[in-house]
Amino acid sequence: MMKKEDPHLPASDQTWVLSSLEHDQLVGAKKHHIPRRRLKSSELLVLWALRLYLLFMMAVVAYQVWTAAH
Amino acid sequence: MKPVAAQNDEAVVITHEDVDRAHDRVRVSEARAQHGFSSRARLLWLLAGPGVLVMLGENDGPSMLSYAATGAKFGIGFFIPFVALTFCMAIVVQEMTVRLGAATHRGHAELIFDRFGPFWGWFSMIDLGIGNFLTLITEFIAIRAGLGFFGVRPWVAILSALVILYSALMSHRYWTWERITLAAAAFNLVFIPVALMTHPSWRSVGHAFITWQPLPGFNKDTLLIVLADIGATVTPWMLFFQQSATVDKGMTTKDIRFGRIDTVLGAALATAAAIATILATAPLFAHQMTADNFEAAQFAQALQPLIGRFGASLFALGMVEAGIVAAITISASSAYAFGEVTHKPHSLNLPMGEGKSFYAVLTLCAVAAAAIVLIPGLPLVYVVLVVNVVAVLAMPPALVFLFMLVNDKEIMGARVNPLWANILSAGVVFILTAAGILFGISIIAPDLFAALGGN
Repeated sequence: MMKKEDPHLPASDQTWVLSSLEHDQLVGAKKHHIPRRRLKSSELLVLWALRLYLLFMMAVVAYQVWTAAH
Repeated sequence: MKPVAAQNDEAVVITHEDVDRAHDRVRVSEARAQHGFSSRARLLWLLAGPGVLVMLGENDGPSMLSYAATGAKFGIGFFIPFVALTFCMAIVVQEMTVRLGAATHRGHAELIFDRFGPFWGWFSMIDLGIGNFLTLITEFIAIRAGLGFFGVRPWVAILSALVILYSALMSHRYWTWERITLAAAAFNLVFIPVALMTHPSWRSVGHAFITWQPLPGFNKDTLLIVLADIGATVTPWMLFFQQSATVDKGMTTKDIRFGRIDTVLGAALATAAAIATILATAPLFAHQMTADNFEAAQFAQALQPLIGRFGASLFALGMVEAGIVAAITISASSAYAFGEVTHKPHSLNLPMGEGKSFYAVLTLCAVAAAAIVLIPGLPLVYVVLVVNVVAVLAMPPALVFLFMLVNDKEIMGARVNPLWANILSAGVVFILTAAGILFGISIIAPDLFAALGGN
């Protein structure tokens, strides 16, 4: 089985792989991070609101489990 | 703007994963170069997979149990078209993950971490991790209960499921893993012959589709079933899995159309299996049999006098299949997400030696969930119920991340959401949030729930 970073991969095969895949698809190309975006205040508000919604609803589920257990 | 990597022309090292993926892409390119119906069919065969797998994977143990409970509790009526509607919501949501994966070649977890930072990224991962682990437990509950119908001991049932899960990984090739799992997932359709054995009234089915009636009463039980049925079709792991699988399969923007067909095909098959399960257990409603505490095996036992031993066995085997396929796809979803956020190799094309952490996470998640199911005295039915509800509640935050990513012009370019998709996805978020809030009100403020018309 071929090893990762195979130094013996013939040049023609390397060309074949490179021509078959888009540059972004290569494992090596994915080591670069996509730049972070700045969140708008409205987006932050929605994210926090949904986070609180989830925490509250989890507490409701925990309460339901507790009442069912008792 | 394309990702940074795409802007750089520096040399990159070709890996084993790249070579495997290139092989798959060459076959796709060859099929695309030809014309005619057979070449289009071959292209669909090559590109279908993530959509069908995610939809049939979501027809999992707790989902089939929810559908079975729906049929037994409400018969043929409102829930038949309602389940079809929930799968339409799933198509809207899952199609976005196809576009995201094809346009960015990055997994969902990786995109959330990169674009929104680790603070929001870890929130998202905690939601996914807890949800996936709880759901995995329920898959092994379904496997244990389904094989229990045939007298198989719990530890034998669980061990057999783990062996099957591990066997699917042994090829170390995404394509082979996908085909093996698809073959197993096709068995989900076994609920269709079971439904036919019950001789359902097609007139009633048609009437239900057209009128959405008879309507169930508006009470806590109905609300719980509504939530469970929604949770049976749209859950966070599906977003992460389909995007990661789309990337691992090597799909590009040229393949988006076939990715959509794959998703719709998967939803159609899953809808057929889900409705068949409701129809299969509807006779229990007609015979006024209570189904409040039925597990998978008990549904099969209850159906046996109506459809015989063979039909009941098919029903139990269907539950086992639902659990196994979902265990395979959900553990893969966890492993993909772990690899994406830790930047460790994460692909089903990796040999075991190169993907140690990927395969370790995948296996450990499954083994830990399986071990919990063997704890004596665990209230299995209650765990299933809670997991379905948690899945629905965790969906709105996950959808908002998806919504923001798929509208992000810097990573999506011309493939950002069109207006109609934004309206539809906002509608899905609204329905899920409203259902969650109503559920909360019914628990903590029953008087208010009654004032809203509930009882």
